[in-house]
Amino acid sequence: MNLNFISPLYLLGLLGIAVPILVHLLTRRQQKHLLFSAVHLLFHSQKRSVKRSAPNRRLLLLIRCLGILLLSLALANPIFSFGGPGNFPPDTPSASVIILDDSYSMGTRTGQTTFYASAVEAVLDLTQSLPADSVYSVVLGSAPGRVFQGWTDDPSRAKKILKFTQPSAQTTQIGQAFTEALQLLETAPQVDKRIFILTDRDKNGWNEDNFSSIGEGTRYPVEIIDFSGMKGGINLAAVEHVEVHQDFLSNSRVVRVKMRAINLSPTKPINKLKASLWVRDKKQTSGVLDLLAKSTGEKEFSFPLQVNTPLTGEIRIEDDLLAQDNHRFFHYQPNQSIKALIVDGDPKTVEHLSETFYLERALNPFSVSTSNIDPTVSTLAELPMRNLFDYSVVVICNARDLPFGYERELEKFVMRGGALIITLGDQVDPKFYNEKLGRLLPVTLKSIHQITRQDEPFRLLIKPSQHRVLKAFKGRTLEEMKSIRFNSMYSVEPKESAEFTIPMWFRNQAPALVESKSGKGKVILFVSSIDRDWSDFAIQPTFLPWVQRWVKYSARKLDNLTQQELLVGEPFVWKEPATGSSIYIKTPGGKIVRLRSGGEKVTFDDTFRPGVYTLHRGNSASDENSESQTIPQLPSGTEPAGAFTVNIDPRESLSDKISDEEIRSLLPEMTVTFSAGYQHREAAHPEEGFPLSTPFLLLVSSMLLLEGWLIRKE
Amino acid sequence: MSGKMKFNYDAEVLSRVASLNIRAMNLVDGLLSGHHRSRHKGSSVEFAEYKDYTPGDETKHIDWKVAGKTDKYHIKQFEQSTNLKVTILLDASGSMAYKSPDPQGQLKMDYARTLAAALSYLFLKQYDAVGLAVFNDHITSHIPPRSKPTHFQHILHGLETLVPSGVTQLNEVIKDVIERLPRRSILILVSDFLTRDSDIEKNLKLLVSRGLEVILFHILDPDEVSLPFEGDIVFESLEDDLSVGLDPADVRETYREEIQNQIQFYRSYCSGLGVDYIFLDTSIPLEQGLNYYLLRRKSLGKT
Repeated sequence: MNLNFISPLYLLGLLGIAVPILVHLLTRRQQKHLLFSAVHLLFHSQKRSVKRSAPNRRLLLLIRCLGILLLSLALANPIFSFGGPGNFPPDTPSASVIILDDSYSMGTRTGQTTFYASAVEAVLDLTQSLPADSVYSVVLGSAPGRVFQGWTDDPSRAKKILKFTQPSAQTTQIGQAFTEALQLLETAPQVDKRIFILTDRDKNGWNEDNFSSIGEGTRYPVEIIDFSGMKGGINLAAVEHVEVHQDFLSNSRVVRVKMRAINLSPTKPINKLKASLWVRDKKQTSGVLDLLAKSTGEKEFSFPLQVNTPLTGEIRIEDDLLAQDNHRFFHYQPNQSIKALIVDGDPKTVEHLSETFYLERALNPFSVSTSNIDPTVSTLAELPMRNLFDYSVVVICNARDLPFGYERELEKFVMRGGALIITLGDQVDPKFYNEKLGRLLPVTLKSIHQITRQDEPFRLLIKPSQHRVLKAFKGRTLEEMKSIRFNSMYSVEPKESAEFTIPMWFRNQAPALVESKSGKGKVILFVSSIDRDWSDFAIQPTFLPWVQRWVKYSARKLDNLTQQELLVGEPFVWKEPATGSSIYIKTPGGKIVRLRSGGEKVTFDDTFRPGVYTLHRGNSASDENSESQTIPQLPSGTEPAGAFTVNIDPRESLSDKISDEEIRSLLPEMTVTFSAGYQHREAAHPEEGFPLSTPFLLLVSSMLLLEGWLIRKE
Repeated sequence: MSGKMKFNYDAEVLSRVASLNIRAMNLVDGLLSGHHRSRHKGSSVEFAEYKDYTPGDETKHIDWKVAGKTDKYHIKQFEQSTNLKVTILLDASGSMAYKSPDPQGQLKMDYARTLAAALSYLFLKQYDAVGLAVFNDHITSHIPPRSKPTHFQHILHGLETLVPSGVTQLNEVIKDVIERLPRRSILILVSDFLTRDSDIEKNLKLLVSRGLEVILFHILDPDEVSLPFEGDIVFESLEDDLSVGLDPADVRETYREEIQNQIQFYRSYCSGLGVDYIFLDTSIPLEQGLNYYLLRRKSLGKT
């Protein structure tokens, strides 16, 4: 608060107060002391009596003094405002760095404005009132702290760049901004240098590490202008976390969205906080939750998933003064079904003796499809009647050979992106495989190795693997795989200049599984049988996940659709995108960016806007190391490749504020002053405010009336 | 206190005792010597009246001469002038030390002291036993009732040596003294009744209910009644640390009303209980006060 006087000369009239005081002292009667017996009776009488000679005299003195005081003040023409004079702005030509905290907590509403809007107003006032030959620069105080406006002496420049800005969705990062400010000040020629920090003092933005780099002997006046104390600006609650699960073991395929909200008030509990679930901009369901003071509460929403398409939505809670943290985005990619064609090369009339009996059940273990794999079993004779392009994966199990000319169909299928898995067995004709499937298989089949009864069975070489299929097998499951007994297997020999990998080996150094790429597709060769004829793998607990993961992997559904949850400003990194194709990102604002593809990972840094970013994969290969660029629309032929969500960091919502002492300890050599930010605008324009002359004159009249009444009463 | 008194043989005290003695004797002898009688009948040499014999009466008191003449048994009754026991309960709290700034004024304690001495002399003169209990917030000294003429010296000495101090706590004192008083005796309470105690009337009632004849002498200085002071004065209590600064003119009316209400209250309450209440302000000559009292007792048939 501030009281300014337009005619301060009249304040000399305050000396007039001495007159009634002197009169009072001169006319004061000598007070006598008397020992008396009935003092308590006198005391009672005094309380009962309405007459008060002595107090009245003191009251009269007070009234007369007040009257003179108010009259002097009224003549001085006082203007009351919420401003404080402080040392803002500087009086001499100076270089000022203005650190403007534009973290999302500065978006807290207060009345018709926000902390940020008030801060911008304060910056504009400051730049307008800088003395001539002064320069200033603006550094933004959200993560990462950055120079928004370099040195300029144009007062209107700040207005141009800041007038229509909004607070960012990032957290506070004053330390970094401060370092930037110091670097700027070092380049300024002016003698008078100072730093203004306009912030709401959120504690999370004042990391000690960021300030440790400040060199000794760096001494500038620093003024912290605090906006957190503005009336009405209290943030009640925030959504802290959202998690989506899908219920697979029921027909309904219920999707469950679990949210966690935090009550930011250290003292006040929140009863019946409204929360709602929005999917594709439609309100799906809502509920309420009770939050104790400074604690979190969870609420789970569920709804049936009608179609297997990706879900994009958000959780919203009741609106308070900071809207940014009242919603949190989520994205959920339901598993998409894979159609697999299983070719049984050794069908039997007794079902469980068929080659594919175990494989079919492993791919689809329940009567309803819950594995997302839809297997279709076919005999070799039926094969020509099937359209291979209806399937993602073809598994050929223990087939002697293929119908005439069918290998070309398979080649086309694989080249266009289909997956071919071949398992061997006693029916297999290695000559056919080596000759007809030679373009698909990177190895040639040599001979069957069988063990006798006395021999030790073949066992897999078990070690932790980083292969995307095998990395799921670890610990106990990996130990279980050691006990699988193989009594027969094919030995293979690599072809010249063939490219392949061997993810699984036998202990005798023979390959167990060979993986290769062919065109856009994959070919996987398992050198033993998939039924119980050559091994007991089919009845081992690890068989089901092993088979399912290989099928999903080969069909590019395993981790293929990437899904990540990021905080605002965190870069998106995709480590294993399909090489040879372009990656596009559609941002929440609708902007489409073609990512720079450089090797085995792609990165995207522009995650400063909360929301759901969708990924798309295009057919056309981009130039290696070409820069990311914005394009008007997605090229045709792109397919979804996943999505990632970007949400605000809830730490910024917490009500913890850094204290004066803590700031001083972070800036030990600086002269730090503090002021309430919303005062400055008024301070810069003292004539703006509430004139108090009339009220003071009215009070003087009241004093005169009261004095007259008291004198008359005496 | 035991019967053995310790005298302070200080010459000044002795002279004051002598002076008090003379004052008291003059006061009583010059007034109504012999008019004040015990109302209790007992064994004595002085015949009172006859009474019809009833079984249980002692046969030695039958007047055989009358029986011979009238053939009826009569019992002789005598004045019991020595069985009456009087205790004077004298307030010696700080408030009794009030002395008006007016040069004509008299120390309230001196007035009360003379009154007590005069009453003692009066009772001893007719062979009644007189005792003295001095109190402030407790009984500070107690001389048990005796009827010997020499006992007067003890009482005079007790009166002269007391120094007013402390806070008046009449309720506590009455509760304490009630156990020490013989039944059917007289209790004379001399005080200014300037106390913060409430419910004194309950304890007075208790005294009466125990068969005691109670006489209250309410003694106040004229200043305490009329509050004649002028100017800004800080009144400091004689009893405790309370002080109040005011212009007496502001409160005079209210104060007078309060004090009159108090006097009126005691007067009417004592009247209801059958307790003699005598208000004396120290400007009234003590003779006049005593005379008034004795005349009133006579008129009530208590002499």
